[in-house]
Amino acid sequence: MEDEGFWDFDSESLSFEKDRHILYLEMMYQLLPAPYQGQEINRLTLAYFVISGLDIFAALDRIDKEAVINWVLSLQAHPKNDRTFENDQFYGFHGSRSSQFQSNNNGAAQLNGSHLASTYCALAILKTVGYDLSQIDSEVLLKSMKTLQQPNGCFMPIHTGGETDLRFVFCAAAICSMLKNWTGMDCEKAKEFIRNCQSYDGGFGLIPGAESHGGATYCAVASLKLMGFLEEDLLSEKASSNVSNVPLLLDWSLQKQAFEDGGFRGRANKPTDTCYAFWVGGTLRILQADKFMNEEALRGFLLTCQSKYGGFSKFPRLLPDIYHSYYGFCAFSMLREPGFNPLCVELGISAIAAIGL
Amino acid sequence: MKGEEERERIPIKERPEWADVRPVPQDDGPNPVVPIAYTDEFSETMDYFRAVYLADERSPRALHLTKEAILLNSGNYTVWQFRRRILDALNADLHEELQFLDQITRENAKNYQIWHHRRWLAEKLGEHVANKELEFTKEIFCKDPKNYHAWSHRQWVLQALGGWEGELAYCSELIKDDIFNNSAWNQRYFVVSKSPLLGGLEVMRDPEVAYAIEAILTKPENESPWRYLRGLHKNDGNSLANDPRVASVCLDVLAGKTDYVHALNMILDLLCHRHQPSKELKDAVDAVSPDPNLPDAGLAENVCSILKLVDPIRANYWEWRKSTVPAQD
Repeated sequence: MEDEGFWDFDSESLSFEKDRHILYLEMMYQLLPAPYQGQEINRLTLAYFVISGLDIFAALDRIDKEAVINWVLSLQAHPKNDRTFENDQFYGFHGSRSSQFQSNNNGAAQLNGSHLASTYCALAILKTVGYDLSQIDSEVLLKSMKTLQQPNGCFMPIHTGGETDLRFVFCAAAICSMLKNWTGMDCEKAKEFIRNCQSYDGGFGLIPGAESHGGATYCAVASLKLMGFLEEDLLSEKASSNVSNVPLLLDWSLQKQAFEDGGFRGRANKPTDTCYAFWVGGTLRILQADKFMNEEALRGFLLTCQSKYGGFSKFPRLLPDIYHSYYGFCAFSMLREPGFNPLCVELGISAIAAIGL
Repeated sequence: MKGEEERERIPIKERPEWADVRPVPQDDGPNPVVPIAYTDEFSETMDYFRAVYLADERSPRALHLTKEAILLNSGNYTVWQFRRRILDALNADLHEELQFLDQITRENAKNYQIWHHRRWLAEKLGEHVANKELEFTKEIFCKDPKNYHAWSHRQWVLQALGGWEGELAYCSELIKDDIFNNSAWNQRYFVVSKSPLLGGLEVMRDPEVAYAIEAILTKPENESPWRYLRGLHKNDGNSLANDPRVASVCLDVLAGKTDYVHALNMILDLLCHRHQPSKELKDAVDAVSPDPNLPDAGLAENVCSILKLVDPIRANYWEWRKSTVPAQD
């Protein structure tokens, strides 16, 4: 997701431009410009940013929910035969037609390219537009998802092989949570893997030994929360977490807010970036420690990353992209900006969507 | 992303070697959501890719086509997976493949699929590419010393293929280039705790504490060596409190009267773990306190008050820490 940005030198507005952002999302919903073709394989993720973004603005009336549901469901992978499936294939959702192939006479090609992250996005979108997830064939999905879990507790994203790291542990936990069914993963093993990802400095890396990173830390803490491994009152003196060193995690997380500009950075001594307002700010929210960050300073930083075209960029004065825009919107929701729907931080969708109607 | 050649691209439908293939268009369905404004080049390449994929054609021309598709969409794991199948089927020269990978990684150093493919190659080629892989990640670090993918790959190479000999020295070199490079500090911790050549954390603690202290004194505002120092003691508050060098470096930093936020944070933790502060330490804290006559405040509470002033962005946190200071004996 890290692209070189393009510079935009006109001065930004210093108030939150809600209408402009909604317009930006509507435009992206209608058509994503050509530079996004490099992310074609993850088109469902781009859709998630747009649709969940509109939901957070309480502007879902701008989309055709039925069309969204039909399109998302058309990306689901199904076994050839009813009720039986080949072992070691994952029956989730594809990110786009790029990994999904129609049946052919040959039979040799791998038709099922469904992916764990796309599956998370699919379910998140469906919940957001109010689709009843009990209509999904979750038994096959979850049973086959379990085969993606590794002996060390981590998850592979796709059965043909891929990098294994905390991002996919999070996806698995979120999928189980949304489907209200934990047979899709061994939570104890996942918890063990997460524990091994905590760095000596308190944050979490994507894999054991890796440098602590805001995105990885969110994945770790959100997963633990979803799986029910975080005690109620983590900050109290009596609490002692057997899963992670919470005081150190807290100190690490808070240290990521830069006194220079009020934004959050993802790693020590790196530049601040819009999206970490969600990844690290969200971590603090889950730990019920967001009261310790400086919200005013954060808000000030985020406004410098607001684009006059709508949306947010990674740094000030770059052109916006849909990823940083979405996480910028999430951050404003967490900062209780008027007119926003509150978030279910650990699921990455609005609170209303998370509860379901 | 730019292709390697500058010359005009010939559409695939005009290339004689592809005349026998019928491209398969993308079927998005009646009402696709968030459609992308594909360029003609993109659409055409992917249409031909779909054709060879469905035919499971594992040929040299298909291999070349996957390269074109990768250059347009380097995150497309379906294309990468198919490329691997073709490489296997053709029994291709994997050293050549590694060279191709070197080229596109330089342009696309933050792409998960490229690094995954690299690991697949390295696994197949085995131990004798360990050095090459270490050299290649070094090359990446010359341009971006914090590239997360490259660091993960490097750690994997060390653990799977070996090459630990020069690693601690390499960390020292990077830290010398930029003492704020947290990736280098993280790697140092990785080497010190995991290298089969060094004996482990217990053995390495002493010299590494000295190394951390030197770095702290050079730039006391640098978060990295402070975290590293705590890590050397496994973040055990009692262990830190019992190491006189820890209190000593805090004292030295305070005496400098500047950039002492991390030092105060450490002192706070020491005090919360029953460290008995020396008179020098108490005096040094008083010296930076805006109001040394704070009534009835213990040293730890005093430290929190100072932190609220010198690190105001975290004022709420320091206020809370003040409220959780354990009762004095």
